[in-house]
Amino acid sequence: MVMSDIRPVLSALLRNRTGAILVSLQVAIALAVLVNAIYIVKQRVDLIGRPTGMDVANVFTVISSGFTQDHDRLAAARNDLAWLRSQPGVVAATRTNAIPLSGGGSSTGIRSEPDAPNDKTVAINYFEVDEGGLETFGVQLVAGRNFRAEEIMPPDPNRSQAPPVAIITKSVARELFGTTDAVGKVAYDYLNRPTTIVGVIEHMHGSWVSWDRVDQVALLPMTPAFGGDNLYLVRAAPGARDELMRKAEEYLATSDPTRMVRGVRALEYYRDRSYLSDRNMAIFLVSVTALLAGVTALGIFALATFNVNVRTRQIGTRRAIGARRADIVRYFMVENWLVTTGGVLLGVALAFGVGYWLSTQYELPRLDLYYLLGGVLLLWALGLAAAWQPSRRAARISPSVATRTV
Amino acid sequence: MFGYYVKLALRSLRRNPGISALMVMAIALGIAVCVMTLTVYHGMSSNPIWWKNDRLYAITLDSWDAEEPANEERPELPPPQLTYRDAEAVTSTAIAARSVRMMRTGGVLSSAEAASDVLPERALLRVTTAGFFGMFDVPFAHGGGWQAAADTGPEPVIVLSKAMNEHFFAGANSVGRTLRWNDREFRVVGVLEDWHPSPKFYDLNNGSFDDPEDAYVPFGWLPALELDSVGNTNCWKPEQRESYLDFLNSECVWVQAWVELPDAATRVRMQEYLDGYVNEQRSSGRFARPDNNRLTPVDQWLADNDVVRNDNRMLVAMAFAFLSVCLINTVGLLLAKFLGGATITGIRRALGASRRQIFLQLLTEAGMLAAVGATAGLVLASLGLLGLRAMYATGSSGFRTVMYIDVWSVAMAVALAVVSALAAGLYPAWRVGRLAPAVYLKS
Repeated sequence: MVMSDIRPVLSALLRNRTGAILVSLQVAIALAVLVNAIYIVKQRVDLIGRPTGMDVANVFTVISSGFTQDHDRLAAARNDLAWLRSQPGVVAATRTNAIPLSGGGSSTGIRSEPDAPNDKTVAINYFEVDEGGLETFGVQLVAGRNFRAEEIMPPDPNRSQAPPVAIITKSVARELFGTTDAVGKVAYDYLNRPTTIVGVIEHMHGSWVSWDRVDQVALLPMTPAFGGDNLYLVRAAPGARDELMRKAEEYLATSDPTRMVRGVRALEYYRDRSYLSDRNMAIFLVSVTALLAGVTALGIFALATFNVNVRTRQIGTRRAIGARRADIVRYFMVENWLVTTGGVLLGVALAFGVGYWLSTQYELPRLDLYYLLGGVLLLWALGLAAAWQPSRRAARISPSVATRTV
Repeated sequence: MFGYYVKLALRSLRRNPGISALMVMAIALGIAVCVMTLTVYHGMSSNPIWWKNDRLYAITLDSWDAEEPANEERPELPPPQLTYRDAEAVTSTAIAARSVRMMRTGGVLSSAEAASDVLPERALLRVTTAGFFGMFDVPFAHGGGWQAAADTGPEPVIVLSKAMNEHFFAGANSVGRTLRWNDREFRVVGVLEDWHPSPKFYDLNNGSFDDPEDAYVPFGWLPALELDSVGNTNCWKPEQRESYLDFLNSECVWVQAWVELPDAATRVRMQEYLDGYVNEQRSSGRFARPDNNRLTPVDQWLADNDVVRNDNRMLVAMAFAFLSVCLINTVGLLLAKFLGGATITGIRRALGASRRQIFLQLLTEAGMLAAVGATAGLVLASLGLLGLRAMYATGSSGFRTVMYIDVWSVAMAVALAVVSALAAGLYPAWRVGRLAPAVYLKS
């Protein structure tokens, strides 16, 4: 039935092909752009949604900047942390040298053997924390133990000593020792000074979200010495964060006139800022893709309408010699389906081409076939939907039209 | 004749207002998306000090590890910053008309007056040498920079950004007044005008679109106050450090250096000087990598530092694909419309209009569609950029400054309108002009 419908439609199409070719071209380009754009969007959404291993929603930062000669940075840190930890709703707090997910941080290289060559050195993004660090990040310790209060080293701006102990993520453990069972093993720094691994964390994201080794993180039991500030991370009980941020800013800003308090911000702020361009790329691509689908549908709709208009008498004649309304609808739907399908076939080739170009030029992963299939189905549906109204209008043409303008 | 074509075109466009609106909308959307992405791309890739492109050079030397390059992805490039001692050495020659070494640090600025109720402000400071302001054509509202002697003293002098001067001195001429940076008093010698070079070409390594610093102080304060960098510090060499002096003498790169070279001859001499310096350093076991001492002009510096990102390139490509769909759409609609109006064309042909005249008249109609479409597209693009700025509200403000319609965007829209008119109009106008008039006069 359908096959026998196609032949006359096709031969009519071939006799009047310009409009059909134009619509097919639109469909082809639309498919190629749409499939690749949505595939890029998917990668960005995946990137943003990766688990961080941390309790991001409940953590916030506070920075204390001392600016007078009599400001005692260490005393301020002791007082501030004692006050923060005593507040109801605070789960844990720590001093640290950098804010995870913020784009700022420190890294170094460690290795499992002294004097191992560069390619055996593992890059780690380290956070200098006290015994409250583990709980403040909200990361999961899968083996070993937390730091003890007496293990926290005093400030040491020149790094004259390596920390005797460290906690690392599973991913660092695997890179260093080939196993996640790293507790008790020894890692060496750039001066071959040993550090014993006392704990292993399931997973944690560090400072740079675009780094391909963002989960290579280590916690070091150190008092940050770099710069003139005290940076605190505070983890609140669920629901208590915003109120605590307000209280902390108010109290700390007035508790000590030798410093100023700033950067009271949710960890979510830093995360969102780091992913801002990925998020906006996704929004922009989705918007343009939607417009593209809309313009393409309008193109299909316009061609169908034009075809119906120029064939009014032909349709009337067909109706007069016995074609049913359903036959007329089917004729136009088949015609449009053929045009769309021509475009889709060309579009599949084009989509592969664009996908290949993107993967070589910008090191993106190759186009996933499911996305191509989804795009093909979408454009088919779009084509049929756009042709539906003109086809229905064609079916309403009265058979008497055939006799009227002789 | 052209006026007559315009009149005919207007009449024709009014005959099918629906289709005309559809074509204008398609062209407007296509041009809007193109203008948006191109405006951002152009802003990001523009050279904010283009008039000195043949004079200003960033200095980089490859002091990195013999075994691996500083940047694995761009192994041909030396590290983007210098060690403290190399920066000092390469900017201490009289070959360059001006030379600057600098880095960014932080601190708290506070009022030096005891009874002041102005709140202290956390600030970023550029620690730099006297040549900075003249070299980068930094505009002053009051006063000026400091003398070279102030760098070595170092003298407690400070130059404020316009915003900091607003904050501490309510915008008044504050030259000669004092301000406290951390625990030390500094005398204001200059206040800048609004100055937002974007991209921030002179320090691309620490945020290409970051705001300029809040204040500027002489470079000599770096060793005197043992300042830390608020920015990237990269080290490759395992070195035991006992003191800040050890850090200054280390292989860590964290200082930027620029020179202004007035002509090709001084450029050659400067290059020879750099090569000579590096060779001399080799005798003390440094610079184990092959010679890669560079004087990079601003344009190349922007390219080397990947200021324009791959995302921006992809978006421009996508915008043009979108425009092409919009134009193909318009070709289809115009063709349908012209063929629909072929009776009139037939009458005009029969009355003596030549094929050429019909062709030009129909092309005029396409041109008018494109002109209206491009105008609407510019409006849409400025609305789109408004939305884009809102989407980047929490990002660095320098990035938002590239998201405005400017002369260049308008020129782009005009060019796209011409391309659109030709792309959409040529084929339909040619096709209809070829029809034999008799066929259409019959009915």
